Amino acid sequence: MTPPAVELKGLGKVYDGIVALAEVNKVFEAGRVHALMGKNGSGKSTLVKILAGAVTPSSGEIFVNGSRVVFGSPRDSFSAGIIAIHQELSLVPSLSVGENIYLGRLPKKRWLGQSIIDWDALHRNAAKLLEEMALSIDPRQLVGTLSLGQQQIVEIVKAMSFDPAILLLDEPTSALATREVEQLFGLIRRLSARGITMIYITHRMNELFAIADHCTVLRDGRLVGTVAMRNTSAESIVEMMFGDVGRAHRPERRLIDRSKAVLEVRNLTRRGAFADVSFDLHRGEVLGFAGLMGAGRTELLRSIFGADPFDAGLIRLDNRQVRKPNPKAMKRFGLGYTPENRKEVGLVQILSSHDNLCLASIGNMSRSGYTNRRREAPLVRKQIRDLDIKIPDPMRTVSSLSGGNQQKVVIGNWLNTKPRVMFFDEPTRGVDVRAKQQIFEIIWRKAEEGLAVVFVSSELEELLEVTDRILVMRQGRIVDEVEPTAISLGDLYKLCMEGVS
Amino acid sequence: MDDERLRGPAATVAAGNVSGMNTSESRRMGATVIRLFAMEAILLILILALVAAAPGFATLGNLLNVLRTVSMLGIIAFGMTAVIISGEIDLSVGAGAALAGCIVAWFAGALSDYTGPAAALLIGFIVALAVGFSTGVLSGKIRQLFNVPTFITTLALFTALRGAANLVTGGFPLTTFPDWFSFFGAGALFGIPFPVFVFAGVFVIMQFLMKYTSFGRAVYAVGGNAEAARLSGIDVYGVKTLTLAITGVLTAISGTLLASQIGSGVGTTATGMELDVIAATIIGGTSLFGGKGRVWGTLLGVIFLGCISNGMTLMNVSEYWQLVVRGVIIVGAVLLNQVLERIR
Repeated sequence: MTPPAVELKGLGKVYDGIVALAEVNKVFEAGRVHALMGKNGSGKSTLVKILAGAVTPSSGEIFVNGSRVVFGSPRDSFSAGIIAIHQELSLVPSLSVGENIYLGRLPKKRWLGQSIIDWDALHRNAAKLLEEMALSIDPRQLVGTLSLGQQQIVEIVKAMSFDPAILLLDEPTSALATREVEQLFGLIRRLSARGITMIYITHRMNELFAIADHCTVLRDGRLVGTVAMRNTSAESIVEMMFGDVGRAHRPERRLIDRSKAVLEVRNLTRRGAFADVSFDLHRGEVLGFAGLMGAGRTELLRSIFGADPFDAGLIRLDNRQVRKPNPKAMKRFGLGYTPENRKEVGLVQILSSHDNLCLASIGNMSRSGYTNRRREAPLVRKQIRDLDIKIPDPMRTVSSLSGGNQQKVVIGNWLNTKPRVMFFDEPTRGVDVRAKQQIFEIIWRKAEEGLAVVFVSSELEELLEVTDRILVMRQGRIVDEVEPTAISLGDLYKLCMEGVS
Repeated sequence: MDDERLRGPAATVAAGNVSGMNTSESRRMGATVIRLFAMEAILLILILALVAAAPGFATLGNLLNVLRTVSMLGIIAFGMTAVIISGEIDLSVGAGAALAGCIVAWFAGALSDYTGPAAALLIGFIVALAVGFSTGVLSGKIRQLFNVPTFITTLALFTALRGAANLVTGGFPLTTFPDWFSFFGAGALFGIPFPVFVFAGVFVIMQFLMKYTSFGRAVYAVGGNAEAARLSGIDVYGVKTLTLAITGVLTAISGTLLASQIGSGVGTTATGMELDVIAATIIGGTSLFGGKGRVWGTLLGVIFLGCISNGMTLMNVSEYWQLVVRGVIIVGAVLLNQVLERIR
């Protein structure tokens, strides 16, 4: 009997006292496609990171092909025959397919006593590799000219050129169109037939049934179980993922006047991102957007805010049509937006907390352009107090703060502009539990005062807890509207996923 | 950072527990002092060294001469500071200064017979300012509309404006100025060279602009993180363009003063000046990555460069060695700033 490709014994990981993965015992048989499921924070990315050698486990043992291994770095995992393919591609767009595959180890030949690159051999080898996997991609083509799906495939081909035994695929389809997903699945099936073991993370239920042999479900860092795909159903997998979840605690909410909308969006379309989106947002309302990654929620908010263009549709703020929104104009209209990636674009990391709290409002604060920090100080103090931001010294750079406090600075920056509509895009990402609760309370309090809020989160529990109404987006379209008090977590998850209903 | 400086290390220390200050805290205080006043200290040491070593350095006449020389450079460097903080660069200022002087000289020659020399010079000056402003706006707009880095556009302007300056003069010095015009570049008021007043005035204005206006604050935000600034509703390219336009105007002012000092419009004036201006800005602690820098630091950088070249000339150091030393200083200043960043 062949030993299992990977065996985990009592594998655990503790981050700063918080258990991310606990006592996982699991056998991954060779030559199969193993799906790994679980909601955000279930520990599946920790598990994959451990297997990829990026994270060292706190406890437990790993066996590859029957022999015990210890991964101190990605290099160790690589030499054990494991290659991880992440969502972010590691290809150089301006180089050819062949060169990307052999980057860092280009074949050489001797010419006039010198070692030079053997381009013929490179393209010959690459062509052979592509042919073996039945792919019709020209190795001389530039990667930048390929579609995203083809690039994803080249990434896998590159991994295969190292002749690994095990591939880790982390949501490889989240950015792909349906047709491209089919191509990718074709490749995965062929590799599986060749005996490659694959561990595949996805959020898309229909993919599981199309591609996986087994599905392993994690919840709160623990292994819930493994089922064979041919004798299970989507319902039972969702059941395994969520278990019995108690109703979220929600504060008493005031009745919302829905007679007049503050923000009206009609048939908004941006090709390749979202299509035909219409909704109303009312004064004092917290409207949630649910959906999987790539469903178009962030893209929609960015287009309404004017950070990105759109192709068709209508935006009305207070009954006034906004023809070509841009962030500056929308700010004047009273719209604010806290972006999802706060580290990169929400804050100017090298400036102080004070300056970051005044970023959006410097124009409004200063009559005739004059301003000084003493005059801004009351506003800075007000936000620090209202949002309970832990700042030892507002003049220190904002990068010295914790994630939660940084997020509060981003929020305070916008509240200083006295907005009437706020978009919060993933405001709790990378934020600790206490700060998360405080952010919810800020949102509720501001909504009580009349602020109209759009709340986007990948954590469905949060949507159920925070919002008054939830719109569900799937592949760029709004597919459903639900009452958070009248739906269970599992049902909401099923709505977000394709191919369940 | 500015405010941290204003409050000074004393305040920083007072915020901590002074009575129970142990060695690590006092070391940190020492580090804070070094970090905040490193440039000042180095400049002071340099001046003391030159007073001791360079014959004639400490005379009033020589010091005023140093100030006059650095003024021409410094006027532009304050604008350059804003440009670099906003994340851009302007390589065209040397050529721009030459062009401005030539334009003023050309108008003096062409219009003096009709309008009188004063009006002709004034018209020439206004045209020079307008040209400086427009070239700044041009590079800013090309940056915005076609996403061409200002390194490229201003490199193109660097040769184009030099060519234009020589086209205006026809390749020969235009000696069209009346005698009294030399006052602006070479004359003195209350014993202090006139350009020094302009230098001081520009310093005050730029210091105010960068520190006390929303425009100045936006410059830091835009250079620190353009996308974050845009998502905060700041007109990123408007801000960048304005810094370039301001620098264009300051370049025209400096170029006019230079022409006045030389006594003619010469197409080859201020060759290589852009590099000195950028060097002074960087020595003053402004980061080429954008978002970081001070007008005050640039003032120190300008004086530093001026003292070094003057001192070396007085000590009869060969011109070639002077160039080498200058190169070492530029790299040294950047390394020093990197090291100071790490002491915290």
